[in-house]
Amino acid sequence: MSRIEDLSTFNDVRERGVAKLLPGVPRIAVGMGTCGRGNGAEGVYHALAERISYYGMDVQLVGTGCFGPCSEEPLVNVFIPGQPLVILRRVQASDADRILSAITTGHVPAELAWCKVEDWDHVTAHFKYGHGYPELPDWRDIPFFAGQKKIVLRNCGVINPDDIEEYIGVGGYQALYKVLIDGRPESVIEQIKAAKLRGRGGAGYLTGLKWDFMAKARDVEKYVICNADEGDPGAYMNRNEIESDPHALLEGIIIGGYVMKSTKGIIYVRSEYPLAVHRLERAIEQARQYGLLGVKILDRPFDFDIELVEGAGAFVCGEETALIASLEGQAGRPRPRPPFPAEQGLFGRPTNINNVETWYNVPPIIIKGPAWFTETGSARSAGTKVFSLVGKVRNTGLVEMPLGTPLKTFVYGIGGGGAPGRSIKAVQTGGPSGGCIPQEMFDTPVDYETLAQLGSIMGSGGMVVMDEDNCMVDVARYFIEFTHSESCGKCVPCRVGLDVSLKILDDFTTGKGTAAQLDQIVELGRMIRDTSLCGLGQSAPNPVLTTMRHFRHEFEDHMIAKRCRAGVCGSLALSPCENSCPLHMNIPRFLALLKQNRLEDAFESVVMDNPLPASTGRVCQHPCDNRCRRQTIDEAVNMREVHRFIADAIYQSDRFDALAARVVARKLPATGYRMAVAGAGPTGLTAAFYLALLGHQVTVYDGKPEAGGMLRYALPEYRLPKAVLAKEIEMIARLGVQFVFNTRIGFDLSLNDLGSSHDVVFISIGTWKESWVHLPGTELKGVMPALPLLEAVSRGEAPPLGRKVLIIGGGNAAVDAARTARRHGAEAAIVYRRERKDMPAIAEEVHAAEQEGVKIVFLAAPHRILGDGEGNVKALEVVRTRLGEYDRSGRRKPVSTGEVIRMDCDAVVLAVGETVDADFCRASGFSLTEGGTLVVDRFTLETSRPNFYAGGDVISGASNVSNAMGYGKKAARIIDERLMGAGRLAQVLPGFDYVPRAPDQLSSARRHETAVLPAAERAQSVEEVAIGLSAACALEEARRCLHCDARG
Amino acid sequence: MPEAGQKKVSIRIDGELVQLPASHTILQAAAMAGRFIPTLCHFDGLADAGACRLCVVEVSGVARLLPACTTPVQEGMSVVTDSPKLAAYRRMILELLLAERNHVCAVCVSNGHCELQNLAAQLGVASVRYPYRYPKLPVDLSHPRFVLDQNRCILCSRCVRVCASVEGAHVWNVMSRGIHSMVVADLNDPWGDASSCTGCGKCVNACPTGALSEKGQAVEEMMKNTAQLVTIAMRKAVRA
Repeated sequence: MSRIEDLSTFNDVRERGVAKLLPGVPRIAVGMGTCGRGNGAEGVYHALAERISYYGMDVQLVGTGCFGPCSEEPLVNVFIPGQPLVILRRVQASDADRILSAITTGHVPAELAWCKVEDWDHVTAHFKYGHGYPELPDWRDIPFFAGQKKIVLRNCGVINPDDIEEYIGVGGYQALYKVLIDGRPESVIEQIKAAKLRGRGGAGYLTGLKWDFMAKARDVEKYVICNADEGDPGAYMNRNEIESDPHALLEGIIIGGYVMKSTKGIIYVRSEYPLAVHRLERAIEQARQYGLLGVKILDRPFDFDIELVEGAGAFVCGEETALIASLEGQAGRPRPRPPFPAEQGLFGRPTNINNVETWYNVPPIIIKGPAWFTETGSARSAGTKVFSLVGKVRNTGLVEMPLGTPLKTFVYGIGGGGAPGRSIKAVQTGGPSGGCIPQEMFDTPVDYETLAQLGSIMGSGGMVVMDEDNCMVDVARYFIEFTHSESCGKCVPCRVGLDVSLKILDDFTTGKGTAAQLDQIVELGRMIRDTSLCGLGQSAPNPVLTTMRHFRHEFEDHMIAKRCRAGVCGSLALSPCENSCPLHMNIPRFLALLKQNRLEDAFESVVMDNPLPASTGRVCQHPCDNRCRRQTIDEAVNMREVHRFIADAIYQSDRFDALAARVVARKLPATGYRMAVAGAGPTGLTAAFYLALLGHQVTVYDGKPEAGGMLRYALPEYRLPKAVLAKEIEMIARLGVQFVFNTRIGFDLSLNDLGSSHDVVFISIGTWKESWVHLPGTELKGVMPALPLLEAVSRGEAPPLGRKVLIIGGGNAAVDAARTARRHGAEAAIVYRRERKDMPAIAEEVHAAEQEGVKIVFLAAPHRILGDGEGNVKALEVVRTRLGEYDRSGRRKPVSTGEVIRMDCDAVVLAVGETVDADFCRASGFSLTEGGTLVVDRFTLETSRPNFYAGGDVISGASNVSNAMGYGKKAARIIDERLMGAGRLAQVLPGFDYVPRAPDQLSSARRHETAVLPAAERAQSVEEVAIGLSAACALEEARRCLHCDARG
Repeated sequence: MPEAGQKKVSIRIDGELVQLPASHTILQAAAMAGRFIPTLCHFDGLADAGACRLCVVEVSGVARLLPACTTPVQEGMSVVTDSPKLAAYRRMILELLLAERNHVCAVCVSNGHCELQNLAAQLGVASVRYPYRYPKLPVDLSHPRFVLDQNRCILCSRCVRVCASVEGAHVWNVMSRGIHSMVVADLNDPWGDASSCTGCGKCVNACPTGALSEKGQAVEEMMKNTAQLVTIAMRKAVRA
């Protein structure tokens, strides 16, 4: 330990530091930040230490800070002389032996190795480790690190934060040395100004200007303060910076002290950061020993010392005037500005306050110059910013990116996108003072101005990613609850305004919100923002104002439909599965009834919730699976197959008539109202079922010869046997529903005619128009859309497919067409422009198709169709694509590579999506959207004409069977409410002697899948592929339910 | 506070030209121009807290609203003291105050002499759109001469400031934070046990509502002697 007094002593220390970082023996560094420790890094460290001493190995073992990727902790980096530095991830104490034995042979354990670092830019120094390990990716090639530029985090996770010599070894305190030798503080301020460094605490004020004011202020005492009172939920940038590299902070502050002619520095740090406090204390002590703090720093005429003050954890103390009050021993309440701290701050003296990260940027700017600094970042926001990327992304952690990087790079690039099957909805930036930016705006560059325009702020760098499981009303409520409890109470708008806002949001999350409150909360938010005393109050309404701006429909859902789509607001949903089901089936109830061996009750429960239980049990997209909480243990309960089992068990038994009679007996007395349902698809059938139950006289009109719509005419027999569907339609007919077939609405019978002969008309026509691909060659013989093909097959016709069929598309229709082609003896291949995970088709169906010999060509887009000169299809030319930028759907956009492949074929099936053909509605005076769907009120399903309602694909565009049926059920409820008053549907639905209760014992069974016919057998027949669950398996599935519907 | 011979600046208050020393605030300038800006936490002679936010005004060229009580005048400033937006915000602030605690005037000692009540009437607050909170807060009757009724307190902190800077006793302070904030004597002692209290009654006269009153006063009887207190406070402020 020696005081550094001149260049030679400085260089001595530096060389000692370099020798520690690049020793002649292997060096193992364990990431020992709070994050690493929380994941067991201490155990790893002690295990390594114990084994090293046991074997008597010559290995250097140190602790470092954090390297950034939280989801991969604990991290260990290993350096063997001459080789690259290797980052090991998810290391456990039990890996110690494995690591050490690999090292003795000059290797690293392959299972743990993640990436390598051949050279590292410390900004203030450049380290070359060595070349090698060709099998390991370079750290920059790992998606999490791609595009990151580490200026603030230049040393984090690499050096030992408890050793000042390592910091000096990587060029630390060099900037201080330079500044003190130069002795021209004003030129330093000019450099900071030229670098356009802006305050990293959130407000983004130019640091150089602030320093200039302070430098010019004259007083006997001036204070330089570092604000390390990081309190945003989900933000931990400053904690990690301090824990990993405390000396860089000290160096920045000491330089600031010199430049602004202050002798006293204060670091105001949260006491909730004990490790950061501990490391800072050590760092300050070491800096004093080395003559970098105290009197005559570096033997120059400059005295400066730093005091550490622990804050008591009030969020408002991040506000500079409240922080000053707290330092003075007063309660942390802000004061009006002016006077600004640069004039009258701590104890009335000139005071400068900067955020932790701002200070970290100071030494690099001095060493590399302002021009180097402004190379990074956007025009008005220079440099980088550290963000804590958390929430619903695969990769979480601390990332340092150039300012101006688009949000989508954070979410999809670095973050790796959302969890499988979940779509990302928004990003919340700036913590409780920030706002939510919706997914449609992910092109937004992250810089101070752009975020502010969107009503959010950069803040200190918290970035919380939210997906469809997050309720935006709840998010707004959460942040208001936070600022409400952290408000100091001094000014009225913040103190009382936030209290009222919180009450209103409470009302919304419990379904009690009103339209007046919706306006009130915006009005209040604006008032609080515009009139509050300090930054806390001025920014507190941001989460509400931005969610109201971008997610107003979610507030309306809570208010009007009393629904929380995300299933977060507990009092608005029975269970996650029920909430996700468009029909809102009481799933836990039928599972429990089956479990109690009450099959008939279970059937009644199922069929009264869903009039097509056997059909949906086969072909539903089962959104419930995705939400099932059983997934947190193993896999979702196979709810769809259980209700299929229940329905099949009754339909195939002699109890069908008795149970159908039980349903018919629930019918209410005749109301006298006559209703027309246009379209006998799932939407229309569902509406007819409930309307008939409610006592109305229902007639269903359809252009086809039989009922069922897409279920009947588009779904192949092997997925949904016609006999099953017929049984369900029979049940509906027994309720007295009349059917009029072969009558196309708008052609054979006009909507006006229907309207004049009925009290209410419900329009539920489907999407029968196949989208056409505009390709050269689509006029050739053998090019056909998927729907007419499937329809022809359902009528028993044999389509002219030839020997080899190519199907363009990636949805269910494409897969159905391919599997149908196989059953007609053709070879079938699907051409899809994206990757497997992007296919909209049900994954199980894709899997089954492949088993049956269907080939799928991914990343290929159709280019043109070639003919044989006689007008017949001969081949399809496709262009190879690669995945480019992320588009608005959160998927990567296919881009042409220019490589064209020719695929010979006899037929081309176009399955690129279906649209509704609702043009005839326009003639009857209905309003249509640009996409050609009918305009309806989102909540009441009323069209632009009175007594005409619409639901299903005709308003939503092509969707799926459960969504379609959901509209039918909702329409029936609303139509009945309008005519007869509220609550009658609930009256029709049966009650059961059933008390929701969580299972006493957790079933250990894994998910049961339906049995299927062998692939070789089924490709030759039209037999149903999925056989269904056995009674024993269905019962076990029912036992697996956790009963989220249980309360209390 | 103004010093003799200090540089004067010219500003416009609602278009009217006013000249006054640079150390003055917009609120003082408005008073000179005869323009009314509502305030509750401001008290002549006491340092301003900027707590009630009623005095926010629009200043041309400044995007944010500025509190008149703590913003010093600047050469060329052009201030708008009233606008539909300001009026709406001020009414909302008063409504929030009225909803926060129990302000049922009919049974209040200060009825008819209450600054909150007067302002509400003047700014046209006919009803409160927010749910009344009506927290059950204590009434401190422990002092031999005075009463502290927390239910009427609007946390303007005039009592805190007058006691500290004029009387120099530092009896009052604000405890807790946010909506739970409360004025307390000494270390949250009953007022009667507060050893620092001199019993001067300045806090009572500074209080804009019925939160602090003299014992023995019935409904409508509590009249505050603000004029005398302002004189004392101003004299003290000049000396400081």
